[in-house]
Amino acid sequence: MTITRREFSKKLLAAAIGLGAPAYLPAAPSPPGKESIVALARSTRLQRVNHQIDKAAAAEYLSRALVRVAGAPSPTAAWQSLFSAGETVGIKLSCLPGPPLSSSKGLVMAIVDGLLSAGIKETRIYIWDRTGRELENAGFKPSYVGINIVGTDYYINGGYSPNIEISGSVGTCFSKIMETVDALISVPVLKDHDLAGVSIGMKNFYGAIHNPNKYHGNRCDPYVADLCNHPFIKNKWRLTVCDASRVQVHNGPAFSPRYAWEYGGLLVGRDPVALDYVGWQIIEERRKELGLKSLVMENREPTYIMSAAKLNLGNADMKFIQKIEI
Amino acid sequence: MNNDHKNVSRRSFLKFCGGALTACAACSLPLKGAGPRPLAAGADKKTGVKEAKYFEKLAEKKIQCALCPHECRVADLERGTCGVRENRDGTYYTLVYGTPCSANIDPIEKKPLFHYFPGTEAFSIATAGCNFVCKFCQNWEISQKRPEQVESIDLPPERVIAVARNRGCKTVAHTYTEPVIYYEYMLDCAILGKQEGVPNVMISNGYIREKPMRELCRRLGAVKIDLKAFTEKFYAEMCAGKLKPVLDTLKVLKDEGIWFEIVVLLIPTLNDGVKEISDMTQWIVKELGPDVPLHFSRYYPTFMLKNIPPTPPETLLAARKISLDNGVKFVYVGNILSEAESTYCPRCGKTLIERMRFVARVTGLKGNKCKYCSETIPGVFG
Repeated sequence: MTITRREFSKKLLAAAIGLGAPAYLPAAPSPPGKESIVALARSTRLQRVNHQIDKAAAAEYLSRALVRVAGAPSPTAAWQSLFSAGETVGIKLSCLPGPPLSSSKGLVMAIVDGLLSAGIKETRIYIWDRTGRELENAGFKPSYVGINIVGTDYYINGGYSPNIEISGSVGTCFSKIMETVDALISVPVLKDHDLAGVSIGMKNFYGAIHNPNKYHGNRCDPYVADLCNHPFIKNKWRLTVCDASRVQVHNGPAFSPRYAWEYGGLLVGRDPVALDYVGWQIIEERRKELGLKSLVMENREPTYIMSAAKLNLGNADMKFIQKIEI
Repeated sequence: MNNDHKNVSRRSFLKFCGGALTACAACSLPLKGAGPRPLAAGADKKTGVKEAKYFEKLAEKKIQCALCPHECRVADLERGTCGVRENRDGTYYTLVYGTPCSANIDPIEKKPLFHYFPGTEAFSIATAGCNFVCKFCQNWEISQKRPEQVESIDLPPERVIAVARNRGCKTVAHTYTEPVIYYEYMLDCAILGKQEGVPNVMISNGYIREKPMRELCRRLGAVKIDLKAFTEKFYAEMCAGKLKPVLDTLKVLKDEGIWFEIVVLLIPTLNDGVKEISDMTQWIVKELGPDVPLHFSRYYPTFMLKNIPPTPPETLLAARKISLDNGVKFVYVGNILSEAESTYCPRCGKTLIERMRFVARVTGLKGNKCKYCSETIPGVFG
């Protein structure tokens, strides 16, 4: 059987890891000009029941998507190509809207299983968001034994670093959890946002800073891009797993039943800009079907996505994005 | 008129230090008796939550804030720019009512208010939050934080007034952060204070809409406005705000007849240009009158602006000279030791109030007149 150069490289890598090679720190997401893969899984099995996705279904589709995104021969190899045993990994959730529109527990636990298969220890996994209360409300009971389920506010002095970090137009204090982890996974929900246009993987990190309220002007642009360009995020962010089981196509970011769409989807990608771009297009297509004005016509175009592309954080051009349907 | 800068002699400094040390000691005493109580461990912070006064309900559970010129349009579960007001299910709430994160006793001169009960003390409080993001903010550790990120105390308006009275404070000062953002709390303190003979003063950036400002003016005793600069560019780039609404607020204060003073923090290369200061002071004299005290204060590197050295004292004194030449009668410099901290009669030049940092001695006033030449001195002196 003919093997591509990419597949050969991945096998070689897996072999090297198996031989106890030094910890592998994956490269940053695809640079502009290179193709970025966004895997889109869609199934009725991924639709929410009692606000939750079935874990088995989530695990199955996540594995299939990740294999394609990572170009790996198996799910375990895919996880191992992205995360190295010995690392501390933070899984940033989106829990503000509560159970109907938060990162689903079934999906998150499927991600945890994936990390464990890569050799990441339980105690080095942080499932986190801004507050313990928001986590608990979304079905994640805070825990500090084994897998950490923790809000930033668990830590002293509000849980934020006392040091101001400046990145472009943004000056902020990061959650101490950001200082703790070596790698990040963003697990947003696919939703409309009243000011930014959409809130997906990149804007999920507004929950990692102490003053997101200061950065909602001008459709959150260039603030979201500048924030994600900070080394704490840019250098640690390995993967986005977007919960698109239920999509808020209008009136976000809170849950608005009238405009909630049981899409039954999952978006997986390493290029955060490309994933946000694809997510935005999904919302726009649905808005059109419903007779809603486009975000552009409502003066809510998520221009932060293009600003992020200009900062070389990823691709915002479908010419360079390969959307793979699972 | 003796307004020239002179070096402060060691003797006069030490003489003042006696008073200063006493004042500082008083400031650092812990509050007792009817002082603030900490929230009980695990206490529900709903004590800070109260429906906001100035907002408009929109469709789809959105609201439009009507308190400050940002006019934030806020979706359900989101907060305004200030970080202390939140939309919950289509109603806007302040999250900091009665829960200050800072409470101290300061000399009124520290605000600075130099023509309002000089030599007295102000019970000074603040909640978290601000509607600006000044890159040079000296209090950013509370002004740029959300209420859940700071330690707060339970201090409803009636206890604010009680503490002020019990500690012998002449006034209550809403200060340190930006009191516009805790408007409802400040207003209720001011209403009660007015009834109880404890006037409230507001130390503010002036970024507030006209209607709420006028409502406040009828209850407050005095206001001090931080005029950050005299260009829209500075306000946009350094503060995330706009200049014009602040100038409009100053005109409202003038129109309402409330006592007010203005402070300008001079930052080298950013807002210390001769033309800008000249334009500013000409505007002040024309629109507000020559009697409004104007303070030029020294900047120190902090927060997000650390690559510019502190303001040279010569810059402050030069700004003062420009202001005096343009007709402003009372011009002070702050954050440095200088005889320009004292008040002089604009007619005969005699010293009316001696000041050194935050210690003041009224030496030349009889009521509100110069005791030497009977010139009426603008202000509220008791």
